[in-house]
Amino acid sequence: MATQVRSHKAQKVLDRLSKKLNRQMVGSMIACVHCGMCTESCHYVQTNPDDPTYAPAYKADQIRKIFKRHHDWMGRVFPWWVHAKTILTDEDLEELKDIAFGKCTNCRRCTINCPMGVDFATVNRMVRGLLVHVGVMPEGVSVVSKDQWEIGNQMGVLKEDYIDTIEWMEEELQDELEDPEAKIPIDKPDCDIVYTINPREVKYDPRTIADAAKIFYYAGANWTMASEGWDMTNFGLFSGDDDLGGTVAKRVYEKVQELNGKMLVISECGHGYRSTRCEGPNWGGVTLPFDSESSVDTMLRYIKEGKIKVDKTKNSTPVTFHDSCNNARSCGLYEEPRELLNLVCSDFREMYPNRAENYCCTGGGGAMSMGEYTPRRLKSAEVKANQLRETGAKIVITSCHNCVDGLNDLIKHYKLDMGVTQLVNLVAEALVPPEKAVPAQEPKAAATLKGYKILVVDDEPDTLTYLTTVLEDNEATTLQAADGATGIELAKKEKPDLITLDISMPGMDGGEVFARLREDPETRMIPVCIVSGKPELRGLIYDKPHRPPEGYLDKPVEEETLVLNARKILELARKQN
Amino acid sequence: MHESQLLHFAAHRLQEVALLIMATVYTIRLIWLFRFKAGGDRQGRTGRFSTSPQKGALYSLANIAMPWAMESTRTKPVFWIQFALFHLGVTAAITLSFVIPYAPSVLNNGLVVFGFQAFIGAACLIGCYRMYRRISDKTMRAISAPDDYFSLALLTVWFAFGVLAAPNDISNGEGIMITFFMLTAFFLIYVPFSKIGHYLYYPITRYYLGRSLGYRGVFPIQKSVKPQKVAH
Ligand code: SF4
Ligand code: SF4
Repeated sequence: MATQVRSHKAQKVLDRLSKKLNRQMVGSMIACVHCGMCTESCHYVQTNPDDPTYAPAYKADQIRKIFKRHHDWMGRVFPWWVHAKTILTDEDLEELKDIAFGKCTNCRRCTINCPMGVDFATVNRMVRGLLVHVGVMPEGVSVVSKDQWEIGNQMGVLKEDYIDTIEWMEEELQDELEDPEAKIPIDKPDCDIVYTINPREVKYDPRTIADAAKIFYYAGANWTMASEGWDMTNFGLFSGDDDLGGTVAKRVYEKVQELNGKMLVISECGHGYRSTRCEGPNWGGVTLPFDSESSVDTMLRYIKEGKIKVDKTKNSTPVTFHDSCNNARSCGLYEEPRELLNLVCSDFREMYPNRAENYCCTGGGGAMSMGEYTPRRLKSAEVKANQLRETGAKIVITSCHNCVDGLNDLIKHYKLDMGVTQLVNLVAEALVPPEKAVPAQEPKAAATLKGYKILVVDDEPDTLTYLTTVLEDNEATTLQAADGATGIELAKKEKPDLITLDISMPGMDGGEVFARLREDPETRMIPVCIVSGKPELRGLIYDKPHRPPEGYLDKPVEEETLVLNARKILELARKQN
Repeated sequence: MHESQLLHFAAHRLQEVALLIMATVYTIRLIWLFRFKAGGDRQGRTGRFSTSPQKGALYSLANIAMPWAMESTRTKPVFWIQFALFHLGVTAAITLSFVIPYAPSVLNNGLVVFGFQAFIGAACLIGCYRMYRRISDKTMRAISAPDDYFSLALLTVWFAFGVLAAPNDISNGEGIMITFFMLTAFFLIYVPFSKIGHYLYYPITRYYLGRSLGYRGVFPIQKSVKPQKVAH
């Protein structure tokens, strides 16, 4: 009988598996009794009740069978008796990839519902790491990992863009507070706080940086941001790559030490908090000589110590709170955000279940970067959508940037009438200025878009009208294009100062339009801001070998956000010219 | 009435040998498991300070006796009762296998015999139901290997003979008693190689999970708070 030869990759996976096993992992491999108690704890199962391949124990078994075949005595001697099986081909690895990346968000909900203490999420992460080691992974995981290895942050934000954004936010802060001394310090040594952020804040949500700065300003904090090692997110958590995890975490730690910072504060991000606060020292094999905490703790402490004053009536819209899996189930951070919420908003409604038992936003485990699994993700999101709907809230708060994206996406998909925001925004909104800071003079008129010509390219008539109206209300001159070809034509002819571009359009999609604009010497330098309702299509833009777009906004986009971002892009472009 | 040599052998020597084999295999298994390095936490503690690695580990180990602790048992009380009765049945059947050869006078009391029969009989019925569930439920079928079916069948048949053996009466022949002890011996030897050996791993997996999640302030789990006002 011919023996099938094992592929090189499959062999490497088996070799590495032996190195990665620790006692806890082996325990999870051998302790499952196939009782099925964990089945319904998984959001994938709840939304695919007729498909047993989503059951946590089934998914775990696809990994377990390899372990059994190579490490367990029964599996070695009587493999058929315990369903032990080896891996031979690259197709076997692809099947594993589909499970490890496409059918589990590593949310750990099954873990806390298993009577045996089987930690499938941790096993699944290990398998991701084995696959990544041999290059078997979704495209998005590869792109993001590469950015984090090479550029130092997972969204490929260049240092100059990061610094520009911080300076821009500093200007916003000074305008708002009418204090030219209001600063966002960079690389200030010997501070009490070194504040680290998610690159998503730089790229899509700079308001959170300004809001945090405002809180630090009111609290009189001695704080700084860092010019390097500022990204507290860590794709190593999602890709299962401990080497990446350790390297990224150490970049942050080393910068804090270099600046002689006393405390590392991690802005609101579930996986960032877990990676930087909890797993990083383990991956990197380091013991930290400084303290670290979530910005949620910092804000709560400031209120409790009377360093900032808040007025909860300023946030009266009904809100609910979504627990990030990494915060709640892996780091125990679930009471603090609630305590803070109750201090800064007047109508907080719990969703059910909550705290460590809350459901995943379905965008966890790096799912937002894996476009190929989007239909599955959105289907499984029905559980979360129902939870949200039940609350009757108009805003869902979450302490995680990943969850913001995941929730935004499902809210749109399930047509829920609510928005998503973070605690930092609510706290900043609720701040009561200290006596001395109350401005005596009339507030300055808000800056406008006067003198700028902006081309809006979008196939949805309502969006086209909305965007142009907002821009015109802010004194910009606008041009409209309802399809890609017209957009390109108008861009060449009118040479606008900025183009807002939808991705999903019939005919020529936004990715194609973007590529042509960047390739044409006449339009190459025109700044582009993507305005899209389909985050899963980001790859169409970001995977292109061109200079990335100057901005990215999720639909539905609020007026303030649109104007703020348009102004930022235009001002940066003006400075660069 | 005196027992035959065969029954005496099955109830004594065979059991002792089976127990010895089980203990040896278990020891080897534990040595194997403990040769894998245990992962640890280098970082500072997170979460509520009212908990700790010790509390987390204790909570985790006691978890199974607290049906309210996990959502999966809290929302399926009948399943948990089944689980409890099934395992009480196992305990009763094992106890019976010691009582018959070493303290048979205990079984002169009809109530004691009834007690054994009630627990073991209930476990037998639950075993039948569990087999039905494992066969009829699509997901259970998908996660079941031959070992799962065989282990459950073995226990269920063993329970059935346990019910019959509880009166310790050989006036109508020794067949039942011999079968019960043979099954017990087979069960003891097979256990470390099968899923039934999970009780050996249970304390280990639960200890490590509890220690880590206690350190991180997750265990003991704070149950979901039911919302006061739910607007529709
Ligand atoms: S609850 Fe635990 S033991 Fe039961 S099937 Fe799930 S992982 Fe296995
Ligand atoms: S970790 Fe979460 S997504 Fe993965 S199987 Fe368990 S419950 Fe499902």
